[in-house]
Amino acid sequence: MMAVPALSMTGISKVFPGVRALDGVDFECLSGEVHAICGENGAGKSTLMKILGGSYRPDAGTIQLAGQAVRFTHPRQAAEAGIAIIHQELSLLPHRTVAENIFMGREIARRGLLDKAGMRRKAAALLSRIGAAIDPQALVSSLSIALQQLVEIAKALLMDARILVMDEPTAALDERDSRALLGLVEGLRREGVSIIYISHRMPEVMAIADRITILKDGKKVWTRPCDAAPIDEIVRAMVGRDLKDFYPATPVSAPGEVLLAVEGGTNAGLRDLTFEVRAGEIIGVAGLEDSGKGALAQALVGDVPFTGGAVTLRGKRIALRTPRQATAAGIGYLPGDRKSEGLALRQSVRDNALLTLRSLMGLFTRPQQGALAHDVIDERLGAMDVRAADFGQEIGTLSGGNQQKAIIVRWLAQASDILVFVEPTRGIDIAAKAAIYETMRAFADSGRGIVVISSDMPELIGIADRVLVMHQGRVSGAVPRGANEEDIMHLALGLADAPRGEAGA
Amino acid sequence: MTTNIAKPKPAIPDLPVAVLLAGLSIGFFAVVALVTGETAQLSGEGIAGLLQRMVALGLVALGQTFVILVGSIDLSVAALISAVAVLASHVMQGDPAMMLPAVLLCLGFCAVVGFVNGALVAYGGINPLIVTLGTGLIIQGVLAASFGVLQGAVAREFQVIAYGSVLGVPYSLLLLATLSLAAGFVLDRTLFGARIYAVGGNPDGARLAGIRTERVILSAHMVASLFAGAAGLYLAARLQSGTPWIGRDGIYDLESIAVTVIGGTILAGGKGGVAGTLAGVLLFATLDAGFNMLGIDAFLKQVLRGAIVIAAVAVHAVRTKGHVA
Repeated sequence: MMAVPALSMTGISKVFPGVRALDGVDFECLSGEVHAICGENGAGKSTLMKILGGSYRPDAGTIQLAGQAVRFTHPRQAAEAGIAIIHQELSLLPHRTVAENIFMGREIARRGLLDKAGMRRKAAALLSRIGAAIDPQALVSSLSIALQQLVEIAKALLMDARILVMDEPTAALDERDSRALLGLVEGLRREGVSIIYISHRMPEVMAIADRITILKDGKKVWTRPCDAAPIDEIVRAMVGRDLKDFYPATPVSAPGEVLLAVEGGTNAGLRDLTFEVRAGEIIGVAGLEDSGKGALAQALVGDVPFTGGAVTLRGKRIALRTPRQATAAGIGYLPGDRKSEGLALRQSVRDNALLTLRSLMGLFTRPQQGALAHDVIDERLGAMDVRAADFGQEIGTLSGGNQQKAIIVRWLAQASDILVFVEPTRGIDIAAKAAIYETMRAFADSGRGIVVISSDMPELIGIADRVLVMHQGRVSGAVPRGANEEDIMHLALGLADAPRGEAGA
Repeated sequence: MTTNIAKPKPAIPDLPVAVLLAGLSIGFFAVVALVTGETAQLSGEGIAGLLQRMVALGLVALGQTFVILVGSIDLSVAALISAVAVLASHVMQGDPAMMLPAVLLCLGFCAVVGFVNGALVAYGGINPLIVTLGTGLIIQGVLAASFGVLQGAVAREFQVIAYGSVLGVPYSLLLLATLSLAAGFVLDRTLFGARIYAVGGNPDGARLAGIRTERVILSAHMVASLFAGAAGLYLAARLQSGTPWIGRDGIYDLESIAVTVIGGTILAGGKGGVAGTLAGVLLFATLDAGFNMLGIDAFLKQVLRGAIVIAAVAVHAVRTKGHVA
């Protein structure tokens, strides 16, 4: 059993200009083992995996596969050695078929001619092995994100990988699909595949990992069997603080007057939504991927507006036909996909923070005067603790947490009453998460309201004063603070109207 | 005659676009011919004449399809066509014995231009619009400056390519059909084709899947240049001697891009194919022929063509949106 590990990396170091990304890291994975790597963003997880995958070359250290020393110079060599990496960002071709995607780069061909039938057959076999009911001839663009993730996994398994790296595989999945994925991982483990699992979702890691390795600032903190590593110890090792300080304390004062009220909100994806947000309240919205929780966010910010029903803000009826109207009315939007919907990556931190303010200013407003002045916005960014060497630098160079804070500043500058957060901490490391929760709480405590849509249940439970649960475009129930995951899951699956409580208040 | 278009059996979503476009084009042509009473246009000869209008643009557009699919673009084709036509006539000087050397020299020159374009785009990381605009300008400039010493004419035997026929089917048409089938086959059935779609669809994903993306981009540029060379040779055969402006006057750079995009190949790369491009070329050919029959003013013709290009692409945009939603 304790023979030669399937993979062992010893003394791996990698220096980038200005950063020591990895410093003498040792890591090993046995066959049939799930070995989780935890660490904040920037701790070196991705760099370590990129070295394993052949994208980077280490400055020092050795990699051994089943006792054999290897050295990769191109991702192809790593793949041929049986290492498969499922990347955080999907790397599929939307306009091509599932089979063509699975075989991308390793098509079955004889003298340059493709064997299409053979690929279709093998793809079907592979898909059924992972229990995915997907037609190999279907176009990838016609599949849901969850199914696309399965295609991505099938692609990784094609090479008969002995070592499978999963980098945040559930980041884009909801609870139900995540569970299916974890079942799949379990199956692969039984087949003797070594699985390296990177995730920010602690419950998942605890459920699935045999061993856990913590990285911090490019160094290994420790490796322990899962049973010897309770969650709070993991968190402490990662960030040096306790879990109970992780979510902000509940406010003492009761929520104030009604800020935002939606009555009978209806559109193609939503049916008869009625709920309200009070001053000082953080409302969570939970649900499976297709529950309509995303559609709710889009409707609230006027992107895909309600076609029926009424929305009132501070008692006044407001029109939400376009994002501009929503912004002017005082509803701000913090999208889940920051890179494509939230940020102009090539522009400065300052420009990004000023985006909404500028877009609502008159055409002839003098730039850099009043609220648009550099020192005014810089002060706001500073107050939010956005960490950048210079607010004139491109925002794309900042970490996810700092980017999110800059977007928050954007809406604070606009003096919004309601902020709609979608997946506020997706891909953001633990320390920055805490800071963002803190900020959200402070925003609400200042007499304004937040609607937060998230697939991360512990997050919703930790931060929200009330959680609305959606199922098939309706609110299937609401649970108060302190509810547990099962209650929410029950409602999300549409199983019962059990803990109705203050539903649709 | 539409069989040429359907035969390469493109990826599933590509076929309807091509068939639709080809049907519309032929319908338009037939209606105009009947309305204007020019029924001779609908005879075998008339159709062959119509299809011959496709050859030059068709050849360039086939190559353009490769580069656009891989996520790049080639603006140097017009200048390259002129260069090849001039070079071919200068080397041949009417001597049939020089035909083969001239053709080889021209294609060799195209391969070099394609290599330079591709290397600058793939390895230099320079935007393809800029690279190919630049190489095009350089070629055009050198050509204009040295045309005085590059006089000549192609051999009479060489003109068979443009004017000869077998069983009523012009050789030029057979050339286009053969090269179309070959291009369709390469894109649809070969490893190289699959790589082109992969690199165009998702360059990072392709690289991580172990594809040497630079080589694929470079090869696609060489294909584009070689097809432009074929078009240049054809034009030289048709006109007997090349001038430095035939490529530019034919607007082969922009029109080849237009027909490719009309045919459903997306500029971002990774989606589309030969069948659509050919249908786009057919559309342009029938518009030209139809407008001639109707006696429409040349400038109005330009306006209508422009409007149709925009309309066609708009239709694609709407269709794709509906598909995604």
